[in-house]
Amino acid sequence: MSVLMTSMLHAATVCGKNQAYVQNGAGAAVATGTGGAISCSDPSWVDTGDTAWQLTAATFVGLMSLPGLALLYGGLVPKRWAVNTMMMAFTGFSGVLVVWVLWAYKMGFGVPIGGGSPNAWTYSYAHAGGGLGGFFKNFFNNFVGHPQSINAGHAQIGQATLYANGGADVPIQMPTPALAYFQFVFAGITPLLFLGSVLGRIKIQVWIIFVPAWCTFVYTVNAMLLWGGGYWAHEGALDYSGGYVIHLAAGVSGFVAAWVIGPRLAKDRAKFVPHSLSMVACGAGIVWLGWNGFNGGDPYFSGADAATAVINTNAATAAALLTWVVWDIFLSKGKKATFGGAVNGMICGLVGITPCAGYVSGSGALWVGIIDASVVWFAWTYVMPITMRKVDDAMGVAYTHGVAGLVGGLLVGIFADPSVTIYASDGGSPIHVEGWLYGNRHQFFLQLFAGLTIIVYDALATFIILKVIGIFTPLRMSDEDCEVGDLAAHDEQAYPPDEGYTAVGASSGSAS
Amino acid sequence: MKLVTAIIKPFRLDGVKDALESAGAAGMTITEVQGFGRQKGHTEVYRGKEYAVAFTPKIKVEVIVEDDAVKPVVDAIVGAARTEKIGDGKIWVTDTDTVVRIRTGEIGADAI
Repeated sequence: MSVLMTSMLHAATVCGKNQAYVQNGAGAAVATGTGGAISCSDPSWVDTGDTAWQLTAATFVGLMSLPGLALLYGGLVPKRWAVNTMMMAFTGFSGVLVVWVLWAYKMGFGVPIGGGSPNAWTYSYAHAGGGLGGFFKNFFNNFVGHPQSINAGHAQIGQATLYANGGADVPIQMPTPALAYFQFVFAGITPLLFLGSVLGRIKIQVWIIFVPAWCTFVYTVNAMLLWGGGYWAHEGALDYSGGYVIHLAAGVSGFVAAWVIGPRLAKDRAKFVPHSLSMVACGAGIVWLGWNGFNGGDPYFSGADAATAVINTNAATAAALLTWVVWDIFLSKGKKATFGGAVNGMICGLVGITPCAGYVSGSGALWVGIIDASVVWFAWTYVMPITMRKVDDAMGVAYTHGVAGLVGGLLVGIFADPSVTIYASDGGSPIHVEGWLYGNRHQFFLQLFAGLTIIVYDALATFIILKVIGIFTPLRMSDEDCEVGDLAAHDEQAYPPDEGYTAVGASSGSAS
Repeated sequence: MKLVTAIIKPFRLDGVKDALESAGAAGMTITEVQGFGRQKGHTEVYRGKEYAVAFTPKIKVEVIVEDDAVKPVVDAIVGAARTEKIGDGKIWVTDTDTVVRIRTGEIGADAI
């Protein structure tokens, strides 16, 4: 008690205006530490280092979307689509955030609908018997969480909880919003990735409705299944930072959405020249370095595995970028290295290492980069021309994210290295995972089936959502408006000339 | 020799170029221009402020042809640029006195 009092006095002295909060929270919160060691206003379960890194990592990931992807895709489209493309990035990000705090975060990371207990792994799974019926019951019980808001004040200051892969209940030493915002920026970037599939014809109004709906019905399921303690998490399928939840999901959903919405104008399909490679460079650079938060933030503590994930991410990306450039030099038509190719290779590396980052060794990471970029290079060069005839996936998201994410997800089942310790674990034994190379063939097949689940579910759900929206409104702009682009969609253009404009209203300059 | 000048909708340029090549034009020069005719302007809105924009982006195509090629060239442009909506543009033909190919110094029809 005296320790507690000392702490409170100390805290009150140091913190000034935080005094009231400390006193209110003291009964539950201030339990450890001697006077000098306690932090000024936080409950004992808050690790300030972890929380600081989580919020920093989350902000890095947010920057990958805004401005990262807005610049990357904005530069990759012709001038007349630049505003529309950037607008899709900003509205998509906003649309996800609103539903995230209102109901979606808990659907992905809350209590599974199949039970009243958050301990998903105590449910009876397929292994426990029940045949196919039992499998489906277990699967759908652990498929998505109860929708619930996280906006209440008491919910915001509470401790973050997380049900990790394999049923290990890892203590998260930070408040709920740190984890919820970190998870939001992942949910937010996913539709922004597949906007590359549907740009150049989707109506902005449709996009603004489609994205929150997709987040609600598709993303939350992916997240629960692999991260939120859902079926595949329990089974032990691995997805470090979203090779499946995000990139395979974006590739599949973008491909299906592009097919349902229909192609761009024939002329845009034949010729869609990037209007600013400088913008692409800015965006791509932010995406790459932002990925340090993407993968480095996923252990949920700022320790050894975070550092491992960061360097692995960069090593794989560097290897992948160079791999793509080498294929370009030796096998492309022009036999030249191209900047656009380098950026594609970079993305393949980032996406490929995403499911693996903190599970593989450094040499594993290099192999992941080389293999992923090679598979996607050949698919991009020889398969995409065939699929593009049927489905106009404008930016090839199905390849640089879908194929790249699937390959990465399978590779973690091969390269996961047991000497890479994920959690040093306070009480139990150190947690690590093993892939096929280290004798655990089972992991590879887990990865395969988890990937197939995402492909089938996301394709079906995306199809249904767009068909339903399509009942109420056309999904695409008219051909005439598509010919004009930004000016038709927004009454704005990215690079308006200085002259020729007359303000309407005060000076009432009518168009001559 | 004649100079055929056409103002067209930017999105029609590829079609016009192909049509001109089929019609035997040996080359062409294009410029991004702005202007208005019967189409008048349009409105743009920046941060809630509305602007009347008199000039609409167009492409100016210039082709030099021999006299007897004027009709097929003009027909080619009309065929490829026409959408039958206001703002399709205009074509005019002017006499051209001298044409010189800089590389060789050829003059007149040889230089086209």
